[in-house]
Amino acid sequence: MSTNTYLIKEGYDNLNKHGSKTISTMLIICATMLILGIFIIILQNVNKNVETLRLEQGLQAFIEDKATDEDIAYMEDELKLIDGVSEIQYMNKAEAYEDAREQFKDQEYFLEGLENLDIFPASFIVKFTNIEEADRIKEEVEKIDGIYNVKYNADTIDAVISISKVANYFLLGVGLVLLVVSVFIISNTIKLAVYSNKREIFIMRYIGATNSFIIKPFIVEGAIMGIVSALISFIIISIVYVYIYGALNSSYALGIFKFIPYSTIWYQILLAYIILGLFIGIFGSAVSLKKYLKV
Amino acid sequence: MIEFVNVVKKYDHDVCAMDNVSLRIEKGEFAFLVGPSGSGKSTFLKLMIKEEEPTSGKILIDGKDITRIKKKDIPFLRRKIGFVFQDFRLLYDRTVAENIIFALRVIEAPEKDIKTQLKSVLQMVGLVGKENYYPNQLSGGEQQRVALARALATKPPILIADEPTGNLDPKTAEEIFKTLIEINSRGTTILVVTHAKDIVNELNKRVIALDHGKVVKDDVRGVY
Repeated sequence: MSTNTYLIKEGYDNLNKHGSKTISTMLIICATMLILGIFIIILQNVNKNVETLRLEQGLQAFIEDKATDEDIAYMEDELKLIDGVSEIQYMNKAEAYEDAREQFKDQEYFLEGLENLDIFPASFIVKFTNIEEADRIKEEVEKIDGIYNVKYNADTIDAVISISKVANYFLLGVGLVLLVVSVFIISNTIKLAVYSNKREIFIMRYIGATNSFIIKPFIVEGAIMGIVSALISFIIISIVYVYIYGALNSSYALGIFKFIPYSTIWYQILLAYIILGLFIGIFGSAVSLKKYLKV
Repeated sequence: MIEFVNVVKKYDHDVCAMDNVSLRIEKGEFAFLVGPSGSGKSTFLKLMIKEEEPTSGKILIDGKDITRIKKKDIPFLRRKIGFVFQDFRLLYDRTVAENIIFALRVIEAPEKDIKTQLKSVLQMVGLVGKENYYPNQLSGGEQQRVALARALATKPPILIADEPTGNLDPKTAEEIFKTLIEINSRGTTILVVTHAKDIVNELNKRVIALDHGKVVKDDVRGVY
């Protein structure tokens, strides 16, 4: 058995020695990780959906009433010159009226008598290749002569974004609090381990153990707790996500919202969990060792 | 091997535990450190393993001034000095063999040396056949032998024993001293702090007496 194998074994033995404490510690870390996992998943899903919506719907540039056919052709040429525009679609007044009728399908009485009044402006629907460039493109479109108003074609997106932002901040806040709690809980468990190994540590110091030899088993203990919690959380969240995905994605309950298939995000979650688990475990142990071992 | 040069150790409130002590213990020597409680014996040992820092003066172990070594080198200083305590300080949830192997693991001894070294120290202290016993299954004398074996496992050139027979009956104490003398005959420098007057007088070895932090007597073939 090499020294490192021995130290890992010592760390593992420590875990067994304090079985119930180990389990309760891991439960709390799992709770933290599940909350953070939900946060990551919601964020990923909302971002992906917003992006899809924006890409699909693009923006709408309204044309001044006085514009002639020539002006409109000029505007279209100008639009074509803008970098990142993937598609331009002209909608004349008649089409705009049709579009409005489509939107107010169930309340057509709103539009009664308006068909010949020419009140719906003609516009361009502009789509882009990359959602990141939407704002720049919007600004450039606004500068074109004859265009008096530009808006994203999906106002609902903004509402979704602001709700998701609030939800994300809330989850992030809860997650951070739980993260601090987890580090504290691990450091407390390690404190207990240090205390119960006091005799060993005392003897080790007299025999000539280096600091790293003394602390490694405790770091291993913390890291194992972190990693095992990460794996348990990963399994739980995977099962729940796949279940929710199956149950909700096929129904119309969520309207246009579509869940991302789990196959595209599982590795991000696993990676985040393992990094988080190691961080909580190692940092938690280190905090305790610094305080109680004076290393 | 061990040299104190004008060593002064003052604790808070000006308590002087070591008052300008200078002495030298040669390689392979066997010496007793005696004196009443509070005379500075414990401080002397603590200074040797750098558990305490002297207020002034130099301490040389194996020719090296340990007052100047870095914190990270302290473990390597301690590997040169085996330490035996009055209360044995064994790990009671581990067997005799495991207690000894523990020391070898601590100094990160190569795997191949562990078995041979275990065998050799068990023989040296007379515990062959008891390797799988737990300390609680052994007598006090045997437990102290385990502690001795653990201290010797790392092959330190110096062995310090702090009241090694303080918890033992006179007959057992005598046996422990016999073992110490045998270890000394193999070349290990030994320093024993003790109150066992009869044994000190009988063994006719060097006796250093401390009182109020001062060396009050240092006889090559002394008595308590």
